[in-house]
Amino acid sequence: MIETLGVTGEGPKEKRVVRLKIKRGGGRGTTPPHYDTFEVPREDGMVVLNAVHYIQSHLDPSLAVRWNCKAGRCGSCSAEINGRPQLMCKTRVDSIDGDITIEPMQAFPHLRDLVTDVTANWKVAAMIPPFTPMADAGDTFTFYQTDVDRSREFRRCIECFLCMDVCHVVREHEADYIGPRWVVKAASLDMHPMDGLNRSKFMKDAGGLGFCNITKCCQEICPEHIVITDDAIIPEKERVVDRHYDPILWVYRHLRGEAKADETK
Amino acid sequence: MAVNWKTLFPYEIFEPNWRFWSFVGLLVVGFWALVSFPVAEYAGYIDPFYSPTILIVPLPGLFRLTCYAYRKDYHRHLFKHPLGCSNADRGDSGKRHYTGEKNGLFQLENLHRYFLYAGIAILPFFYYDFYHSLVFSGSFELRVGSLVLLANALLLTAWTGSCHAFRHLTGGNIDCYSCVTAGGARKAFYERQSWLNRYHEALAWVSLLTIFFADLYIRGLAAGLPLDFTLVKL
Repeated sequence: MIETLGVTGEGPKEKRVVRLKIKRGGGRGTTPPHYDTFEVPREDGMVVLNAVHYIQSHLDPSLAVRWNCKAGRCGSCSAEINGRPQLMCKTRVDSIDGDITIEPMQAFPHLRDLVTDVTANWKVAAMIPPFTPMADAGDTFTFYQTDVDRSREFRRCIECFLCMDVCHVVREHEADYIGPRWVVKAASLDMHPMDGLNRSKFMKDAGGLGFCNITKCCQEICPEHIVITDDAIIPEKERVVDRHYDPILWVYRHLRGEAKADETK
Repeated sequence: MAVNWKTLFPYEIFEPNWRFWSFVGLLVVGFWALVSFPVAEYAGYIDPFYSPTILIVPLPGLFRLTCYAYRKDYHRHLFKHPLGCSNADRGDSGKRHYTGEKNGLFQLENLHRYFLYAGIAILPFFYYDFYHSLVFSGSFELRVGSLVLLANALLLTAWTGSCHAFRHLTGGNIDCYSCVTAGGARKAFYERQSWLNRYHEALAWVSLLTIFFADLYIRGLAAGLPLDFTLVKL
């Protein structure tokens, strides 16, 4: 099915229209999964979400898509554009040659059209040991900008879950790995100057950090340009090594009688 | 005008796939050369593989094998978990068994920092080789080969210094810089090292290439090729 409306103007057709192939139906919907093709008038500076909105308002109001701010701040419009996880509102149509295929994120249960169920993320979020102030933090704890610079990077996360979608461990293997977004969350807590917990035991066992094999897809696609692997995952891995694999540190902690104090810094 | 140095090279050189197979190719050719025509020293130039002795080559070898940059490359291009980030590159990764870095020999990767210590211990020998090449003839003599050895030493230092384990041990393990001794200086060092760390993958490739180039250069001299000439003699 190809639906077109309002495509006018001079010049070759491929210059005037954008052809979008969108995955429809499936999941909990009543229609079996299939692809619909739409042709939308091309405009200067158009992003993929604009084209999807055009389809909703002019061609097919039944198209289900999750979106909110249209400005790359809310992290709602995540999708796979030509097989690559991206935000629809930050992907310019003129950055793509040829037809544009839009599919929902495949790492999560499919609801309908471009909408997926990301509820599993909130269960993982609840597993992470929460922010716990140091025992000797006192009533007033002073820290400086220089101390929070590192964990601030991770606060940029807009929870679009593109990193979870692109992560092959989360997406293709039934592994007990919490996924890049939640390693970033744990790192933001671990690196906070006032936090008194050491999450390395959680990261090693329940967090499944060893499943990550540093292939850096999460870092490549993050729309907020958080350096996920280098700044969060690898430092967390090194912290796990400190507590669980480094033989010299193991002897050192035993000699100081700190071997049991695994959960605190 | 600032020049983007990456535009000076073919784009493919920075493609991870190309990089990985160049590692493999270099290792095969290098091993063959080392066994077939051993050249430990020629005209005052000590071959980097023999610095300080060929017996320790497994240590820097393991340092490279457990390096986060190489891990990315071989997990992607040898084990294909996954080959790339888009749908088209994912292949059959999902159908094959996967335990990440949790099981078997992959656990060795957790000891990367110990191979880093070995790597740091070996670095001064490369600078000694440079010095040795300068004073070999009895007086100070700067030759092209000395510059090759110096470039090799500097790039190995840059690669070792940009290591993620080094980053963790020299500042990444501190959560409150204002709470520790010399926190300001440690944070400043951490930030500069973090800048270098961004180039770790490129340095991993270039530094391996220069080792082989230095080795090949010395072999060329030993084979009688007119590659070397004196730049400064005092």
